[in-house]
Amino acid sequence: MSDKNNKIPFNEDNYTHNIERNNERKLDRRGFMKTLVGAAGVFAVSSLPWGAVAAKELMGLGEKEYPHKKITEVSNLPIGDAVEFKFPGDHDDAILIRLSENKYVAYQNACTHLRCPVFWVKEQGEMICPCHHGKFDVETGAPTAGPPRRPLPEIQVKVENGSIYAVRVKRYEA
Amino acid sequence: MKRKYLGVIILAAILMMNIVFTQYMVHQYYYENYENVLIFGGLNIVLFPLAVFAYKKTINMRA
Ligand code: FES
Repeated sequence: MSDKNNKIPFNEDNYTHNIERNNERKLDRRGFMKTLVGAAGVFAVSSLPWGAVAAKELMGLGEKEYPHKKITEVSNLPIGDAVEFKFPGDHDDAILIRLSENKYVAYQNACTHLRCPVFWVKEQGEMICPCHHGKFDVETGAPTAGPPRRPLPEIQVKVENGSIYAVRVKRYEA
Repeated sequence: MKRKYLGVIILAAILMMNIVFTQYMVHQYYYENYENVLIFGGLNIVLFPLAVFAYKKTINMRA
């Protein structure tokens, strides 16, 4: 190296005189640790909405009765067929399947893996998720194959005067 | 082990815990165990001041 640092007075315009590369200060341990702390902060902040929603559910808003919603007429739904509907909200996809003369099952059909819409395959008697080939048992909603680990939330249905109504979403039994 | 890496190691461990807690939190949310969601969310939040503390404690350590 040249003798530029040996001059007296020492020619220094800032404390970075000993830095050899561009952005060297950005790559040091201090900067890296700051990034780590910042990431911890991001985690903390992003936990807040989950906590807020959970607290809201805990405060008794969870078990609310949604207004019963008519799904379809019995006569429109042959045995073995399925119909999609929205329940309880307008953006909560759900599926109703008629298994036999008087047996209906309904689930919220957002896959419990990554929320793809699960559909009913009549020929195989299974509910299948197209995204990663998750499969669900049609009687219980339990996952039987693929990545999903949680059962689909079941919706209680009721038949009245030839129409089928969604009553409410069952809670998981822990 | 060089002492000057202690802070980095601690912070990396904290971040690892953050990831684990977040994962638990989301899963517990969908299982509708809302108490557990609050517990893990709380842990996640507590980790942040902890990380700041660890940073301040270790940043001036010399090798
Ligand atoms: S989203 Fe359904 S299996 Fe992945």
